[in-house]
Amino acid sequence: MTNNRARGPNRRSVGRGAWILALIVSASPNTWAQKSKDLDLAQASLEDLMNMQVTSVSKRSQKLSSAGAAAYVITQDDIRRSGMTNIPDLLRMVPGVDVARINANTWAISIRGFNYRYSTKVLVLIDGRTVYTPGFSGVYWDEQDVPLEDIDRIEVIRGPGGTVWGANAVNGVINIITKKATDTQGGLASLGTGSEDNARALVQYGGKLGKGSYRAFGNYFNVANGQLANGSDSADGWHAIHGGFRSDWDLSQQDTLTVQGDLFGTSEGQTVTTLFSNQLPAFHTLTDKVAVGSGNILGRWGHTFSNGSETTLQVYYDRVRRLDEASLDTLNTGDVDFQYHFQIGSRQDVLAGAGYRLTDHNISPGYEITFGTGHRRDSLYSTFLQDQIQLTNSLALTVGSKFEHNDYTGFEFEPSAQLVWTPSDRQTVWTSAARAIRQPSWFDAESKLDVATFPLQGNGFGLVQLNGSLASKAETLLDFEAGYRIQASKQLSLDASVFRSRYSRIQTLEPATPYFTFNPPPPHLVAPSYWSNLARAHDYGVEFSANWNVTSRWRLSPGFSFLQMKILMDPSSHDTSTAASVGDSPKHQAQLRSTFNLPHNLEWDTLAYYVGALGIGPVGSYTRLDTRIGWRFKEGVDFSVAGQNLLRPLHFEFLDGLQVNPTQAERSVVGRVTWRF
Amino acid sequence: MAFLAHRNVACRLALLALVAIHVQGQPPIPDEYQVKAAFLFNFAKFVEWPAATFKGPEDPLAICVLGQDPFGTMLEDVVRHKTVLNRTFVIREVSNVQQAMTCQIVFVSASERKRFRAILDGFKGHSILTVGEAEDFTANGGIINFKLKDARVRIEIDAAAADRAGLRISSKLLSLAEIAKR
Repeated sequence: MTNNRARGPNRRSVGRGAWILALIVSASPNTWAQKSKDLDLAQASLEDLMNMQVTSVSKRSQKLSSAGAAAYVITQDDIRRSGMTNIPDLLRMVPGVDVARINANTWAISIRGFNYRYSTKVLVLIDGRTVYTPGFSGVYWDEQDVPLEDIDRIEVIRGPGGTVWGANAVNGVINIITKKATDTQGGLASLGTGSEDNARALVQYGGKLGKGSYRAFGNYFNVANGQLANGSDSADGWHAIHGGFRSDWDLSQQDTLTVQGDLFGTSEGQTVTTLFSNQLPAFHTLTDKVAVGSGNILGRWGHTFSNGSETTLQVYYDRVRRLDEASLDTLNTGDVDFQYHFQIGSRQDVLAGAGYRLTDHNISPGYEITFGTGHRRDSLYSTFLQDQIQLTNSLALTVGSKFEHNDYTGFEFEPSAQLVWTPSDRQTVWTSAARAIRQPSWFDAESKLDVATFPLQGNGFGLVQLNGSLASKAETLLDFEAGYRIQASKQLSLDASVFRSRYSRIQTLEPATPYFTFNPPPPHLVAPSYWSNLARAHDYGVEFSANWNVTSRWRLSPGFSFLQMKILMDPSSHDTSTAASVGDSPKHQAQLRSTFNLPHNLEWDTLAYYVGALGIGPVGSYTRLDTRIGWRFKEGVDFSVAGQNLLRPLHFEFLDGLQVNPTQAERSVVGRVTWRF
Repeated sequence: MAFLAHRNVACRLALLALVAIHVQGQPPIPDEYQVKAAFLFNFAKFVEWPAATFKGPEDPLAICVLGQDPFGTMLEDVVRHKTVLNRTFVIREVSNVQQAMTCQIVFVSASERKRFRAILDGFKGHSILTVGEAEDFTANGGIINFKLKDARVRIEIDAAAADRAGLRISSKLLSLAEIAKR
C-alpha cells in the first residue's frame, strides 16, 4: 500500500510561468503604444461598416427559441462571464443538469437523474463527433478539452433526442459547438493561473488560406491535487496538452467544407481502492496513473441546391488510448453521416439522414476487471426521417423516427412527435412524446469485475463478482413533456418545462448461484451477479429558467429544477442496489447568475448554485458561490479574477466514485488575461 | 493550504495583471446586429425624406422595429446623443403597419417573413424606408435588404422602390450597395 503524496508538476510552475509571461510581453511589438481604438460604430464610415467582420450569434440562438424541446443555450458571453475554466463547471448553469465533481479530473454529470461516474443516459457531441464511450456507457470528461474561447455555444437539450441523435440520447444531449474559423481570425493568447488551476495557456492564430479561413491552437493546463476525506492530498492533479485546428472553406457559392482535428494528451493521477484479481482477498489503496492520448480528424461538406434544399456529409475518425487502473483501453471510431434537408411545398420541412459507425475496441485486463476476449469490433447502422408540418400559421407538428441496428440488441427505433404553437412572436407553447433507448455497453455485455471480498465462517473468503450478460437489453424511455416560453417584455423572458418519464428495462444486478473455484488461487467462493434489465422507473419533474434585465447594465438569470424519481423493481428481481440509485441525483437544484456592467469597462459577475442533498454518501446539500471581476483594460486586452467555491473551504460533491477515492472541491481563486492581436 | 501557497498565487495573479497592462490588443469583433444598427443610423444620413415627412425642423427621426426585435439595446446604444441635420433619434418597437406609419425607417424583422407582402403593400405611397434581412425582402417590395457574406454585412437596394416611396438615396450609398434583382 502506498500513500504517494508526490505533487508531480503541480504547485511549482511559478518560475516557469513568469518566464512565459516575460517572453510574451517582450514579443509584443507595440507594447507601450497608447492608441486606444474605440468601438463606437456610429462613427464608422459606410466603407468601414461594410468591411467589418461580424459574429452572428443572436440569430442562431433565436432558432432554438421556437424549438419543441426543453433546450438551453450557453453562449460565449455566458462562458466568459462565468469565470469557469472547464466544460463540466460550465454545465452547472443549466437548470436540470447535475454536475458533481468526484476528484480533480473526474466528474459525474447527468440530466434528469441517474447520475453516476459513468452516467449512461446523456449523449455528448463536440462539433458533431460523439464522445460517449461504448466501453462503459458514459463520457470521460477529462478527455474532452475545447479551448473555452473557441466555443460558439453549448446547446443542452433536456429530454430524449433519439430521433435525430440516436441511441443514448435518452435524458439529454449536450452539443458543444465551436466557432467557425472565420470568427476567430487574428492572434489570441490567454494565460491563467490560480490556486487550483496552477497554469493555463492558450496560444492561437487564425488566418486566411485561399477561399477559406483557418485557426490553429495549442492549449496547456495544469490542475492541482485535491484533498481526500482524511485531509491528505490525493494525486489527482493533472496536466494536459492539446493542439488542434479548424478550417472552413467556401468551395463555391453552393459548397462549404469544414476540416478540423485535434491531438490531445493528459497525465493524471488518482487514489484508488481496489482488489487485485490475482492477489485476493485484500483491498489495496494506491496512487494510480491515468494517461490519455487521443486524436481525431473530421470533415464536413455542405451543399445547397438551387431550390434551397441542403445536404451535409460528415466523416470522422477518432482514436483514444486511455490507461486507467492498469487497463489499457484503445478505441478507434470511424463514422460517416449524411443528412438531407428539403421542403415539400410551402408547409413541410423534412430532415432525413443515414449513418454508419465502426468501432474497433481493445481493453486489456486491469487490476480487477477483464473484458471478454479483450477485443470487439461493432457496427452501427442508422437512418432517420423527420418531417415538420406547418398545420396553420401558428401551429407546427414534427414527427419522425430513427431506425438503428447495433451489434448488441439488433434493431431499435426511436420515434417522436412535437407540437409547437406560437400564438405570437413572443410566445411558444410546445408538447412532445418520444421513445429513446440506451444501448448496452461492452461492460454490460462481457465484463467481469471483482468488487468485494468477505470472510467465510471458519476459513477462506468469498468474492463478489459482477458479470456482463450478452442478454443485456436496451434501457427504454417513453417520455412526455410540455413547455412554455415567453418574452414577456424587453426586460423579461421565461422558460418552463415539465416532463413525465417512463423507463423500462432499467439495468439491475441479479445474483446467481455461488460456486467454489481454485483459479485464481487461493481457493475461494465466488458470489456472481449478472447484469440484467429487471426494473422500471417513473420520474417526473420541472425545469424553469428566466432572464431579467433589471437595468440596462444589470441582468439576473435565475433557474430552478425539481426531479422526483421512483424505481420499481420487477418481482422476479433480487437486485438490492438499483433502487438506491435514486439517491445519486439531487431532488432540487437552483441557480442564480448576476451579470453587472460597471463603468470603466469593468464587469462584475456572480453565480450561486444550490444542489440538494444526495442519498448516496450521504452528501449534504451545498451552495456554490463564485464571483468574478473582469476588466477590459483596453480593446483586445481583458483581465479577470474569479473566486470560486467561496462559501466553504472544502466540500464533497459525489462520494460514489467506484474505485476512485473522491476528493473535495476547494475554495479557490483564478486569474486570467486574454490578449487578441 | 500553507501561507506560502497563498503568496505564490497572489504573485502569479499580479504577474497576470502586469501582462494585461503591457500588451496591446485589437478591438473585439462586433455582433452582426451592432453593425446592422450602425447601418440603420447611417441610412438617416444618406437618405433624404420629402420635407412634408417631418412636422418641424427639429422633429426627431423615428427608427422602428416591426416584429421580433433582434437588436436588444444595440440600436439605442448607436443613436444615443447623436443627431443628423439637428434631428435626434427615437427608437420604437411596433407590431403592425398602422403603428409604423409615423416612422421614417422601419426595420421589418425576419419573424414577419410570412407577412412581408402584406406589410410592404401597406407602406405603399408613404415615404418610409423599409429595411429587412431576408432573401425575398426586396422581391416583396422592400427597399433595403441586409445580407451576410463572408461574415460581413452587405446591403442591397431597390432604387426603383425608393423612388416610388419619394426617397432620395445618395449616390455614395448606392455605389456601395448591390442593386436588387427584381
